[in-house]
Amino acid sequence: MKKILALVAVIALVAFAAPAFAAANPFMDVPMNHWAYDAIGQLAARGVLSGYPDGTYKGNQPMTRYEVASAVARALAVVDMTKASKQDVEMLKKLVVEFKDELDALGVKVDKIDSRVAVLEEGVGGWKISGSFRMDWKWADQTAGTYAQDGDEDLTMRQPSNYLQLVKRIDDKVSYRARLRRMDGNRNIEWAENFITVKFPDLWDTTMKFGRSDSIVWENGLYHDSLGDDAWFLDDRIEGIVLDKNFAMGNFSALWGHYDDANGGVGEATWYGARVRFNFNEQFNMGLNALIKDYDNNPEFDNPVVGLLPFEKWQTYWFDFGVNFNQNVALRGMYAMNKYDIAGGTPVWMDDSPNAYKIIVDVKQDALKFTSLWLEYAKLDAFFATHINGLSYAEQAAGNPKPATLIDKPWRPFEMKYWMIAAEQKWNDKWATFQRYLDVDYDTAIGDLFDHTNWLFGVRYMYTSALQFELMYDKIEADNVNYSDHMIRFRTSISF
Amino acid sequence: MEGKRITRLIGLSVLLFGMLFTAVPGFAADYSKTLAKWTRQQTFREPGAIGPLEMKVTYYSAEYVQALIETEAEKNLWTKDEKENYTYQLLKTLNMDEMIPIHVEFRNYGPSMHMAPFDEQVEIWIGRKKFKPVDYDKRFNFRLQGDRDGMIYFPRYDEKGKPLLEGVSSVKLSFNSGIHMYIRGSSVDFIWDVHKDKPESLYAGRAASRLELDRLIKRIEKLNAEKRDLENKLNELNNELSSVNKRVDELQKQ
Repeated sequence: MKKILALVAVIALVAFAAPAFAAANPFMDVPMNHWAYDAIGQLAARGVLSGYPDGTYKGNQPMTRYEVASAVARALAVVDMTKASKQDVEMLKKLVVEFKDELDALGVKVDKIDSRVAVLEEGVGGWKISGSFRMDWKWADQTAGTYAQDGDEDLTMRQPSNYLQLVKRIDDKVSYRARLRRMDGNRNIEWAENFITVKFPDLWDTTMKFGRSDSIVWENGLYHDSLGDDAWFLDDRIEGIVLDKNFAMGNFSALWGHYDDANGGVGEATWYGARVRFNFNEQFNMGLNALIKDYDNNPEFDNPVVGLLPFEKWQTYWFDFGVNFNQNVALRGMYAMNKYDIAGGTPVWMDDSPNAYKIIVDVKQDALKFTSLWLEYAKLDAFFATHINGLSYAEQAAGNPKPATLIDKPWRPFEMKYWMIAAEQKWNDKWATFQRYLDVDYDTAIGDLFDHTNWLFGVRYMYTSALQFELMYDKIEADNVNYSDHMIRFRTSISF
Repeated sequence: MEGKRITRLIGLSVLLFGMLFTAVPGFAADYSKTLAKWTRQQTFREPGAIGPLEMKVTYYSAEYVQALIETEAEKNLWTKDEKENYTYQLLKTLNMDEMIPIHVEFRNYGPSMHMAPFDEQVEIWIGRKKFKPVDYDKRFNFRLQGDRDGMIYFPRYDEKGKPLLEGVSSVKLSFNSGIHMYIRGSSVDFIWDVHKDKPESLYAGRAASRLELDRLIKRIEKLNAEKRDLENKLNELNNELSSVNKRVDELQKQ
């Protein structure tokens, strides 16, 4: 905004001052209405020319061509190319061409400008590479508890998740994207994503993705991604086709694909689903979603209480909505239904159509000034399951209790509900703090054994846009049994 | 224990809501509320990532521009003339008489973005039609990590000169989700209810008259050019007609 105002100020100065000063000194050969004044003023306003001497470029009276050339020459010596747009560079080139003879006479070599332009132009076309690396140091209280991954260590250094992304624009309709990921769990490098995107302007103006995709989420705004939560459904690796159609006040998506399970094909399934979202206006939106997971081999979810449940199909339907009271305060929610098809019929003790809902109040920091606020309440019927295995910011060891444990188990024979309060405070461009409190309750006497709370506090420091640090404390505590664990984690993130 | 925890949660919620509703009225001060009304912000972060991607976009409605002018006028204690001049220059610079300007600000503290060519990544939906940018800050075409902001311009009139926003209640600005690794979903959408705009005060006074004059002069130039084209075509037709007639006369005489 400041840049725009500065630009306007410079233009206004030139525009209003021009006739008066030009009339005052008619003997100069570069009159005030010459485009060069405007060009230099604009480049200065954008910060491209920083520190050109006002002794030469007076800016408020006509000059000789040599004076302007001298200003351009001095500007070229200090030009900040990191702030220059291609337009700015073109403008500089135009100035150089206009005053070439004078610059030559002043002994200025302008060839370097061309090489700088070439560097800028490298940004267009070709392969684009980006990625991130993370490293953690962790101090866990229990050697084989919630947080300790290796059982016998309470201090570990880990690389939780590293990415390398490659993108190639093939033409105006086709692009390719691949993402390599190294997961800490199995320490393997895998193709998290590998797909081409094709635009079909003549086929109802749709866009399709073909290949392996791992970033499909239909619950935007319904989970607190800043503190590690994830969408209840989808967000799985799928190999197939995803179709997107954007329209005036909404969008439509559909997918068909296959989930390829690396563990012997037990969980392999064909996915199909569709979503339509309506934005009625800036205040109200609504979405309808359907997602069906059709298992290839009827995997048997191992229920420790009642034995095996051979699943044929897992259907999920949900409705979501959002109400924006203003730019900073919103109310959102979703209501979901599961429908299970089980080989041999549904056991009598099981509800094969359980429901769940959650409701969220999202308040941005601009409203409260000192903090943002996220309040979330969810209630899940017995046997209702999501696709996530917990509400955790810190990674937990497999098989150990974690926040909102059993949220992914269709055999969970008791209702669960949770409260979450999360807040973030952005103190300045460098420092931020965050907190979360999560309280999870399970119904029935057996379920009470799983009741727990989770506390989280952290500090983030943005050293640069590429390098950041985070120090975090996370604690989980059982309500009705004697169990608790906590962890301090120091995370470094480098992205490029 | 259960009762105690519920009491604690209710108490905490009441406290937080209390903070919310006592803080909101404080926010409603002078023009800042109007400026905020036309600004939208979305933040994206991959689970576990530290640095986010923040996108802040501002629709330059008449009401927003008016608030911007009033803010500057108050700050600088401008006279009426100075304010008129500033209004005229600002509207000219923003090209408000021909384009819909939208300011976009990226704050990317995650993996770098590569959006070239940028006009393939963004579109605006006005009514049932979508439009590509007519112009944009070309720096968006280059690798982006850190902070960068700039303007995007969309057409305000269709080919026949009809205002695109006429009778439209909302517009939607859509970014392709492929612009950043952290964005999950089909697109990033920002919506404004443009029927709530208040153009009356901005498009009144001397600045508006000067702008209208500029527009009319441009229109005259365009119409004159069209007229010249048509006259040239007419001349060509007349010439061809006369040559054909001449030939017909020659043939009839034979």
